[in-house]
Formats: sequence, C-alpha cells, structure tokens
Amino acid sequence: MAFDKMELRDIEVWDGNFAAAQALRQCQIDVVSAYPITPSTPIVEGYAKFLADGYVEGEFVMVESEHAAMSGCIGASAAGGRVATATSSQGFALMVETLYQASGMRLPIVLNVVNRALAAPLNVNGDHSDMYLGRDSGWIQLDAYSPQEAYDLNFIAFRVAEDHDVRLPCMVHQDGFMTSHTAQGVHTMDDDTAYGFVGDFKPMNDMLDFEHPVTHGVQTEEDWHFEHKARQHNDLMTKVMPKIQAAFDDFEKLTGRKYNIVEKYDMDDADVAVVCMGTSVETAREVALEMREKGIKAGVVGLRVVRPFPFFEIQEALKDVKAIAALDRSSPNGAPGMLFNEIAGALFNTDTKALLSGYVYGLGGRDLTKKHLTDLYTELQANVDAGKVLTPLQQFIGVRGPKLAFL
Amino acid sequence: MANTGWDEFEIGAMLRTFEGEAGNIAQTLQEDRNYTENSSFRASVADWRIEKPVFNKDYCIDCQFCWVYCPDISIISRDKKMIGIDMDHCKGCGICVEVCPTNPKSLLMFPEQADEESVIAQWPSKEEKEK
Amino acid sequence: MSEMKKIKNLKEFSTSADRFEGANLLCPGCAHSIIVREVLNATNDDLVLSASTGCLEVCTAVYPYTSWDASWIHIGFENGSTAVAGAEAMYKALKTKGRLKQPDRNPKFVSFAGDGASYDIGFQWISGCMERGHNIMHVVLDNEVYANTGGQRSSSTPIGSSATTSPAGRVSYGEKKNKKDMVAIMASHGIPYSAQVAPNKWKDMVKKIQHGMEVDGPVFINAVSPCTTEWKFDPKDTMLLTDLATDSLVFPLYEIIDGHELNITYRPKNVVPVEEYLAAQGRFKHLFKDEYKYLIKEWQERVDANWAYLNRREEARV
Repeated sequence: MAFDKMELRDIEVWDGNFAAAQALRQCQIDVVSAYPITPSTPIVEGYAKFLADGYVEGEFVMVESEHAAMSGCIGASAAGGRVATATSSQGFALMVETLYQASGMRLPIVLNVVNRALAAPLNVNGDHSDMYLGRDSGWIQLDAYSPQEAYDLNFIAFRVAEDHDVRLPCMVHQDGFMTSHTAQGVHTMDDDTAYGFVGDFKPMNDMLDFEHPVTHGVQTEEDWHFEHKARQHNDLMTKVMPKIQAAFDDFEKLTGRKYNIVEKYDMDDADVAVVCMGTSVETAREVALEMREKGIKAGVVGLRVVRPFPFFEIQEALKDVKAIAALDRSSPNGAPGMLFNEIAGALFNTDTKALLSGYVYGLGGRDLTKKHLTDLYTELQANVDAGKVLTPLQQFIGVRGPKLAFL
Repeated sequence: MANTGWDEFEIGAMLRTFEGEAGNIAQTLQEDRNYTENSSFRASVADWRIEKPVFNKDYCIDCQFCWVYCPDISIISRDKKMIGIDMDHCKGCGICVEVCPTNPKSLLMFPEQADEESVIAQWPSKEEKEK
Repeated sequence: MSEMKKIKNLKEFSTSADRFEGANLLCPGCAHSIIVREVLNATNDDLVLSASTGCLEVCTAVYPYTSWDASWIHIGFENGSTAVAGAEAMYKALKTKGRLKQPDRNPKFVSFAGDGASYDIGFQWISGCMERGHNIMHVVLDNEVYANTGGQRSSSTPIGSSATTSPAGRVSYGEKKNKKDMVAIMASHGIPYSAQVAPNKWKDMVKKIQHGMEVDGPVFINAVSPCTTEWKFDPKDTMLLTDLATDSLVFPLYEIIDGHELNITYRPKNVVPVEEYLAAQGRFKHLFKDEYKYLIKEWQERVDANWAYLNRREEARV
C-alpha cells in the first residue's frame, strides 16, 4: 500500500468531527466529494489533510455546492467504490434532490450530517431540522450522541450500507457543536482492526466494469415507478434492521462497545420516560437519575436508528411505562412533532395505557437544561398520578415569552 | 419485458445492456452482440412510420451519407457498403432520402403499405438538371 | 494511451459499430442522436456517459429499455457533468489503488446535456467541472429551447424566436435577448479545448471530438442540434437546417485551444444569407411581417460582426 498507517493511542481526545474524519480515513474512502459548511466542514478537511499527509489514498473533489457534492458522490458511487461526504443544515437542504436519487439508485454513500438548524432566520447551531428534512429520503439514518459514537457509527454505516442485500445510503448524525466541536475521550481501533470491520468494498452494478455496461437513473412512469419505490420501502422495512443488529453484535464482539437500535436507560422499572435524540439523551439520563432520588421512576429512550423507524423496538421499550414525553428538536411548523407522531403510531393498537405528550425544544442550539428536564419529568409524573395528560399535547420549552402550548 | 411485480427486478432500477460479458463492444457489430431484452435494440418503432424509405441499390454509390446522418441507426452498412434499412428502428423521418446525392436517388420515401418490388420496378429515372 | 481510431473518410467511419441504439423515443428527424452517434463513433475506447434531464435522457432510458451500449447515468437536470466528474474521480482513485477490474482500458468520460441543462440550470455544475480540471467532455446538444418540456425559452434561445414563454404575438416578436456565448464563457475557464460543432460537418466534428478525448483535462463542446418540433420544420430537413446554420454563419464552427487560441475550422464557400436560415423555420415566421423585418437585418449584422470578431481573434493568434 502506498499510504502510511497512523498510530493511535487507545484513547484519543477528539471532537465529533475529527472522530468522523478518522473513521473515514480508517475506512479508506475512495472518493470524497464535498463542500464546506459549518459545523461539518472539519470532517472533510480532516480527510483532505490525511490525504495530503499520505495517510489515505483516494480522490478528494472539492466541488462548488452541496448539490454538486452529492452529485459527485452519486457518480463516484455508481462508478464503483467507497464514497463519503459530510454536510449540515442549508447544505443538506440543497442536497435534498440528490438524496432521493442516491437512495433510488441504491448507492451506498455515507453522509455525515452534523445537525444544524435551518434558516430563516439563519443559525449555525445544532437542532434536528436537517435530520428531519431527510427522513423520507430513503436513507438509513443513525444518530450519534457523542464523539465516540460518531466514530463508531461510521463503521456501522459502511458495513450496513454496502451490504449487497441492503445497498442503501446511510447518514450518520451528530449534534452541531455540542458533539462536533466538543472534544472527549474516544476509544480507538487500530487501522487494521477498523478496516477489517468494514472490509474491502465489493462493487455492484459498477459503471467502471466495462464488460458489464449498466444504465443508472432511468425514467419510470406510472407503469413502473410504484414498483421501484415499493421495492425500496420493502428493503428498508425488512432488510435493514437485521443487518444493523448484526453489525452492532459484531462491533460489540470486536470493541466491547454495545449499541442498540433503540437505547434504553433506566427503563426496566420506569414509570415515566423521555424519548429524544442526540446530546439531549445524556442530559436526560443525568436528570432521570436525579428524579429517581426524588422517588420518580424516570427513564430515557434514545433513538439510535431514526430511519428505518424502529417501530417494534419503540413499542417494546415503552410498553410498560405510564407517561411518555416525545422531545422534538425541530419546529414541526403546524403539526405535532415527528417523534410524537411516530411514537403515537407505534403505540396505537397496542395494550399500552401510556399517556403521551410532546415537547419542542432546543431550536437553533438553545440549551436544554437540567431544570427543563426536571420540570418535564415532574409533569409526566403528575400525568401519571392524575391518570390523564394535564398539559396541552404540545409544549415549547426554553423559549422566551408567554407560555407556548397547543393541542 | 413483462410488467413484473415489485420483487422481480434488480434493485435501483438498473438496466444491463448485454447478457454476459460485453467484450470489445466498440468493434462488435450489432448482429454479433448478445443484447438483453432491456436494450431498445430489441424493441421496434416501426409503427411510428407513415412513410418508409425504400433502398434501390442499383443507383447507390456507397457514399455513406445516409449512414452518418440517420438518427436511428437504421442504415445498415457493412464493409463500407450500404446493404439495407433496419425497418424495426426506422421512424420514417426521410433524412436519408434528403441527403442521398445520386441521380436518381437511391433512397425514396413511399407510403408504408407500398410494395417494395413494385416501387423499385417503377423507380424514377435520372432528372435532368435545369440549365 | 490508446490508439486513436482511424477515420480517414466516411466509408471508413461507416464501419463503426454504434454504441447507441434505435427504438429510442426521440422524435423522427431529431439531430440529438445524429450528434450522439458521431461523438460515440469517434472512439473505440470504453465510455462512461451521462445525460442530464432532457430530450436525450427521457427518450433513451425509459424503463425497462435502455438505448445505451456503454455505462450511462442520469441523476438530475443540472448535474450530469458532475455525475461523470464523480465517476472520473473514482476511476482515478481505483487506478491509484490498483482496483480497476480492467486496468488496461482507457475510458472516456462524456456528459451530454441540452442547452437548458447547460446554459441555465446546470451552468454552475459545468463551470465547477471545467474549473476543477476533470478529464471529462461535456457536449451540449444545443437546440436553443427547452424542447423536452414543450418549448420554453432558455438563455440559448436567440432574439426573435417564438418560444412558449416568450411567444410572438400581436405586440411581441418573441424572445428579446440574444443567445449567451457559452463557448467563450467555458473557454475562459482556461480549459484545454472548447469547440462548436455541427452534425452536418461530421469530419470536423470527429476531429474535434478525437482531439478533445486526447487532451488531458476538461473539454467543452457546443453542438448545434436543429429541433424539428420546436424550430418547426419537416423532420426530413434536419440536415438542410444544419447546413443553413453553418453556412449562414449563425453557427460558425471553430475551436479554442487552452482558453485563448481560436481557430475557425469551417469557412463556407458560399455564405448563405441569415434570412434563408430564418425563413426555413416556423419559430421565426413572424419576423417576415413588415414591422419586424428590421430584426432580420439586425440578425445579419450581428452574425457578420461575430464572424468578423472570430476572424480577428484567429488572426491575432492570442
């Protein structure tokens, strides 16, 4: 090989961006086609620097927009090799057209999304608006809550996306700044172990196989389009979760780090549960323990896999709780939040008697404080005690001005 | 290809042109290629035509103008000789007739139903150029 | 390097084995496929192709049929150039890493797009591809209109043309703006080769395509593609229209080397008045009303001025 391996300490102090960049290096990405946007830029800068320093071999194509970044990724992936990029927010929004094309062509691109709010008004900080914008795009979406997870989930992403039974693109999400720019201890794998986990790229329908010319990106009308979309949905619904679980199992054997499709914290005997994503999970876990000292049996559920939505795993995780709060970090703009709706859909038609309420929080990087969560758990317990939801079904928390609540 | 169900085709709406390996496709003539049923070579647009070109080889000088300007790969030239028209792929545009330089033309348009033998038997003779 | 395909004359060219198939859904008499054939037949090397959304794309890959005998991709309206640029980047990466399945091949990366997809919606993507130096060729099938969506004006639509969004009417002569000079804009990127071609001058076309495929770096080709449907002429007259376009000097044929050195590659023996070119097309019919005849005169003056400019550029050797 014409590039050098990098000696890593067992524990490195990395922020989420650098952790993701290191994962891309260790996966030996063939082509990165990218465009800078805060706060995700350091991921592709990291890859570019590794390339410049001879720690990876490949092509870095610095294009002129995020739309072109994903377009280049699609061309490169269809040509037949390992492809990744990163983006956030407005860049993600600009990519949306091509996201559907990548998934429809079944190209296993990995996109690191460092979550950030969507304008207007403009904002560079973390919320989940971009993640929510991608949720119907046919991609697998994994959510990391910390730099460690941003590192680990990239390996999971390539392993699952490139599996010939799956062949779907995958996003790895992390929270802008809170994860991407916060340095923490990250347990590393050495280069050989890491690469061994994802393995060599196995091409499929690759344009560069000149003995087997392929046509990608056809036109289908009313006679074929529905069948192709149905096929893609079927594969997301039936094939992806078992592969993710298998990858998690293998990863645990390799590293000792255990991931679950739905993460449960203190849920065994919980009466009240918060369901959330990203860095909020850690805050909620801390508060849940404090609530338990006050006699409230609090727990936390975090989505590790956002798409495909873990319908049965959510049912299972919440089947015995009495009150649930769905925390959405994206303005639903005229509807209940996504998590509220998905949880309601999962629990409807089951025997649960759980009370469900929704909270919108943290837009544009607004902090979710321990006080917010303490109040929230207290409200949930009050709901349990009353046997009904005492608050409106949708409340905004942490916003200035008169109390904002609906439904 | 029949209108199959959602579980009966390759993922990604991907199409292959050839069965097996393509080989040196740029130097393999159509008759020697192993097209899949997905190549439009295997389809026909003959029913688009109202008029059809008829080729009279008696006057052809093998200049290949018709070959190079045919939009539908329907002029069959082999070994630098024009040998006929691919009537499955000809849409009847008439470009070949317009670009044919012979006098009389070696290609002329006739109604789709016209009998080829009889139109060749009545082929127009050389036109005198106006002075 | 692969050996350049030898094409001395049309007879030799006619021994090519086409890699573009019939029973596509392009209109009878469409110049697009004539251009595509001449481009693809200019080489025997392997090809990685793309088409941006447009007539060519929607007519040649309608599931479950493909008219392409080489690897081909379509993503969207604006990004066909970037699609092949991505594939070319992957080719380079896999070549470096020794992972090409057929390492002895010498593929060419070609992107086809209409004038709408090139002059308008894909402008930024193409500019990016040209600036970054990918080893790709972008070929514009320039029919001066959004033909696939039914005849709307693009920034390639010339003055006086009646398009559905700039229709000629009781008080309007149609399109008010002159066509954008895309070849000059692309040449300004300092790319090794840009050229204007026409399918009637097949030898000039093949020479330019072959040159473009041999140079290292991005190549921009603008090909005039008379549109029987939107220019409104009989399908049999496509080549006649192309002859009028080149011989009236409305579409002069030239090349620009390394962004500056301009060569005129075709000088018509008998230059045809622009009026004849306009008169052959329904889209300019209204210009022959008395009140708009001044536009025909202006057309001629503009074409003359452009031809003089190209000649001066050529003479200057700068």
